Parts: sequence; C-alpha cells; structure tokens
Amino acid sequence: MVIELIVNILLLGFCIFCFGYVGATMPVSAVNELGAEQWPQGILILLILAILWNIFKFFRVHKTAEVAEAFKEFPGDVVGFFKSKLFIGMVLVVIMALAYEPVGFMVTCFAFLMAYGLLLGQRNIALLVGTSLLITVILYVGFSVFLGVLLPRGNISFLRDFALFVESLIPSF
Amino acid sequence: MELLTSGLSVVFQPTMFLLIIFAVFLGTLFGALPGVSATMAVTLGIPFTYKMDAVSAIAFLVAIYCASITGGGMTAILFKIPGVPSSAPTTYDGYPMAQRGEAGKALGMQLVCSAIGGMFAAVCMLLLSPQLTQAALSFGPSELFAISFMGLSILTSLETDNICRTIISGLLGLLLACIGLDPLLGVPRLTFGTRFLTSGIEMIPVMIGFFAVTEVLKQTAKPSKLTAVGGNSSMSAKMPSLKEFLSVKWIVARCSVVGTIIGILPGAGATIASFMCYSMEQKLSKHPEKFGTGCLDGIAAPETGNNAATGGAMVPLLSLGIPGGNAAAIMMSALVLKGVTMGPLLLIDQPQFLSATFASMFVSNIVMVFAAIVIAKVFVQILKVPYSILGPTIIMMATIGAYATKNTAVDVILMAVAGLAGFLLVKCKFNSSAMILGLVLGTICESNLRRAVTIVQGDTLLEAFINLLKRPVTGIIMAVCIVVLLWPVVKPMVAKKAKAK
Repeated sequence: MVIELIVNILLLGFCIFCFGYVGATMPVSAVNELGAEQWPQGILILLILAILWNIFKFFRVHKTAEVAEAFKEFPGDVVGFFKSKLFIGMVLVVIMALAYEPVGFMVTCFAFLMAYGLLLGQRNIALLVGTSLLITVILYVGFSVFLGVLLPRGNISFLRDFALFVESLIPSF
Repeated sequence: MELLTSGLSVVFQPTMFLLIIFAVFLGTLFGALPGVSATMAVTLGIPFTYKMDAVSAIAFLVAIYCASITGGGMTAILFKIPGVPSSAPTTYDGYPMAQRGEAGKALGMQLVCSAIGGMFAAVCMLLLSPQLTQAALSFGPSELFAISFMGLSILTSLETDNICRTIISGLLGLLLACIGLDPLLGVPRLTFGTRFLTSGIEMIPVMIGFFAVTEVLKQTAKPSKLTAVGGNSSMSAKMPSLKEFLSVKWIVARCSVVGTIIGILPGAGATIASFMCYSMEQKLSKHPEKFGTGCLDGIAAPETGNNAATGGAMVPLLSLGIPGGNAAAIMMSALVLKGVTMGPLLLIDQPQFLSATFASMFVSNIVMVFAAIVIAKVFVQILKVPYSILGPTIIMMATIGAYATKNTAVDVILMAVAGLAGFLLVKCKFNSSAMILGLVLGTICESNLRRAVTIVQGDTLLEAFINLLKRPVTGIIMAVCIVVLLWPVVKPMVAKKAKAK
C-alpha cells in the first residue's frame, strides 16, 4: 500500500520536473504550430491530472489511519524486502546484465543459471550443474553456431581465452 | 493468386519450412507454459530472427504467435491455468471436461477450432490488407494520426476495473516515446544531457524486459505449482468426430468472423476476442446452462475467436504500419530493426511481406495441429521441468535477444532496468501492456499529428485542430475514438444511475 503511494508521489514529482525541463530546453514554437515541447507537455499535463486523481482515489479507498498504520510497518517491510528472494533475484539480474559483456556469455550464463536455480529452491546441486552446463551449451550452439547471433566472449583476457577454448571444442557448421 | 504462390514459395523453401515447423513447436511450447504469454513468446523468438531476412523473420514470428495462442489452450484444459490470457475462457469448459476424463476430446476440439479460426483469419488478412492499403494511400498525416490514436483509445477498455492506472501507464509509454531526437526538428528532447538517451528508448530491450524479466521476477516472488488432471499419465488429443464437429460448425463460423474483426481493431486482441466469443455464444445457445459445465461449444467459441484475432491483428500492421496489439508491436520493432519502413507503401513496394505472412499463418495453423498432438503426448513431462531451471533460462534467452539488437551491453542493462521497473509498476497495479502500446504508438501519433497541423494550417493551434477535425475521415475516426475512450468510463455511471432509479 505504502509503496503504491510513494511511487505515485515520485511519478508526480518527476512529471512536474519534466514539464518544466522540456519547456526550458526546447526551441520556442510559433503560435500556430505544434512544437517539439507541446506534445510531451500535453502528455505530462494529462499524466499529472491522472496521477492526482489516482492519489485522491487512493485516499478515498484507504482511510488516513490505515495509511498511517501502514507507514509505521513500512520500515519492517523494507527490511523484509531486502531479505526476500525477490530482491536477491533482482540483484542477480542486475549483476548478470552488468557482467554480460565484460565476463562473456558462457561464464555469465552458467553462473546465472546456477545462482538463480539455487535461489528458486533447486537443492539438487548435481542436477543444477548438469542442466546449467547443458543449457549454456544449447543456447551457445543454437544461437551463436546455428543462427550466427553474436554472443560476447568477454573483455577479461583469461575469460576470453576460456571462451575461445570452449568454442574450439564445438564443431562449426 | 500471384500473392498466394509467391507466399507459398517463400514458406516451402526447405530451410524456411523447417524454421516454421521449429517456430510452431517453440510457439506451442511457450504458449503452453504458464507465465509465458503470446507476446513473451514472440519476444523470445526475436533472437532467432537476427540473421534472417525481413520476410523470413515476419513469417517465423507469425508462426510463433499463432502457435502460442493455441498452446495456451492446452494448459487451460489440463491445468485450469491459461497458458496465455486469451485462453482463460477455455478453462470454463475445458477443465470440467478433463475432470470427466475427456481431456483428449477437449484438446482435439481445441486444436481443430484454433486451426480453422487461424486459417479463416489468414484468408481475411490476404483479402482485406490490399484494400486497406489502397484506401490508406489516399490518407494524409491527419488520417494516419486518427487511426493510430484509435489504438490508444482502447486504453480505457484494457482493464475496466483499473481505468485510471491503465491511462497513467499508457501516458507513461507515450512520454517514454518522446525521449530522444525530436522526430521533426531533430533536437534532443528529454535526454537530460546524456548521450545514451539521444537515440531514444530502444523498444525491443524494453519490451523484452517488461514481458520476460518481469514475469520471471513475479514467479520468483510468488511461485505457483501446477497439477494436471489425470496425474502423471501421458495425454493425447482425440480428434472430434464428424457429428461433434458439425454440432459446433455455426459457432466456429460466427467466432471466426467476430475474432477477425476484433483482431483488426487497433489495441483489441486475442484476449478480448475469446471472451467476447464465449459470452456471445453463451447468449446465442439454446442451452446456455451447459456452458461452464464442460461442453464442446464452450471450447470451440473462445479457441476459434482467439486464433482468428491473430490474423486480424496483422491487417493494420501490414497495411497501415500500426500494430494491432503488443505481439504485433514486437513484430513491427523486429522489422524496423531490419530497416523495413512500415506504412501503406510497404505492401505496394514489397507485397511479399503480405504473401509470406499469409502463407506462414496458413501453413503453421495446419502444422500446429500435428505439433500439438506430439506435444500433448509429452506435455505433462515437459511441464515437470522445474521453474528453477525454466525461469533463469527465459532470462538468458531474453538477454541474448536484448544484446543482439545492437550488440551492446547498454541494451542488456536497459532490459534489466525495464524488467525491474515493470515489476514495480505491476506491483503498483499499473498496466505494462498499456505502457508498451503507448511507447509503440507514441512516435507514430506525434509525427503524424504535427505534420497534419502544419498542413491544415490555422492562425492559432486551436484553429488548426478544428480544421483537422473538419476533414471527414479524421473527424469520423476521432469521434469513434472519443466514444471508445469514454464508454468504459461512462458505462458504470449509467448503470449506477439506472440501478438507483
């Protein structure tokens, strides 16, 4: 409940800022033309009105005392979120995205499949290692070898050498 | 006839034919997996198309799209969980049939009706698209703006319980589309001084993030377990007898027409088509009480309707360059990425796009029946693959798709950010489909409106807008848009007043 209100307020603030920003940074248009700033400003006005209505509806549905109570519980919920599987999953996705190019496809894919599999409760390590390895190879062969999609080998020299070594084991078609 | 033969010659090239069979298997499988929607299936199919030419790419993606809609019905019948949202009405009668031990018959009817609906829509697409293209050639920017605005006008109907948040989502999509170089003046807009935003928000990584990463995160937060009726035994589809099929022939005919028409409307898609067909047939039936208890009519109606909508959705995309829904929007992004200029001239200059799409739809709807029979046999085993393996694999496939867009890590990061933002928005009950609709239609709407305002001229902007609405086609379409936009808002008020009286 609280996160919904916070997101709405943040969105409202962002829209108001964008309204001013786009007006200040775009060339001034003539009175009879639809300029570069007017289309986004029109959207932003509608957005601001819609968000205000949404916040109004929020307070109509939830009583003030109920919201205040939820705010009291909010720090606990935040701590709970940081300890949750979901947060770890989000972190894993971000780490994977950041590591994808420097570390390379093979290592990132294998490590991500392992880590996310463990997170989702797969406790059979042998199965996890086996399937992660198999899926990495299938994805690599399927996309890179058969479909010619470029997959990163990594920027770090030993990881790049490793990727090249693995690639040399897979026959080309 | 020439179009037909050229389309079949593309599809029956040995490599292309194998790719379509592969696409059908992939699409059926993706569609059958709960949590993988038809849009996500098309999204996950994108990396396969990077090395294909544009015509082959659209044929491949169309095959995945059609097959995924059918695949969704299988989980609806066996697990009471629709694999894709458009299969939700199939659960009403499919699951009770499966519980009675008639899963095979239900699956068989679902496959046959899906195939007929899909093929009917493909023929309609072949006949209607050139006509619409001819009409669209006389359209100016004002008419094109009105048509693309029609896609946005459906926003209020996407989630009638949540109109305000759906509008906010659509507007956020429109705002995101404003980022980057201004389409007419070429000046950077809303880039906040960063060069990464100068080229605008890349649509494919954002869509992949919204449809793939967000879904896996949702499953991570709230995992769901599936149990099929009939336990672990293998399932096989049983083709309906001639008598059974003849009993639903009018249902199939009506729903094919209705599904195709709904598919053509920008914004409306397979989900609306299947619900509408189900309720329409229930009202028309001599035995409406049988609906929901496990009758073949209740399977035939939604399955014909949702597959017919797939062909309808391709009509505005191919003839006007305006996507009819999210899956069509992804196909459009994939084509744009290949340098194809979408719009009315596409079918005039390159009619092979229409013929290949038609042939692919037609062939994949036939192949789909056989593929689904094979998949049905191993279906329960396939769904035994734990989500701890499936979930991260979906994310890795999505990552390959995002990276291959421009071979840059920025797109992978954009995908991850979109995935996290998508999850937050879903958590706050916003609508990610509406946002994607806004993102895709934003640039088309803006550039056509601004061109139109320049052409019609007026002393003030207001006068220019009035002149714009005086154009007959624009005026009529805009009037329809206003009705479509306001009806879901006004309807509950009218109902409330009537109840009070």
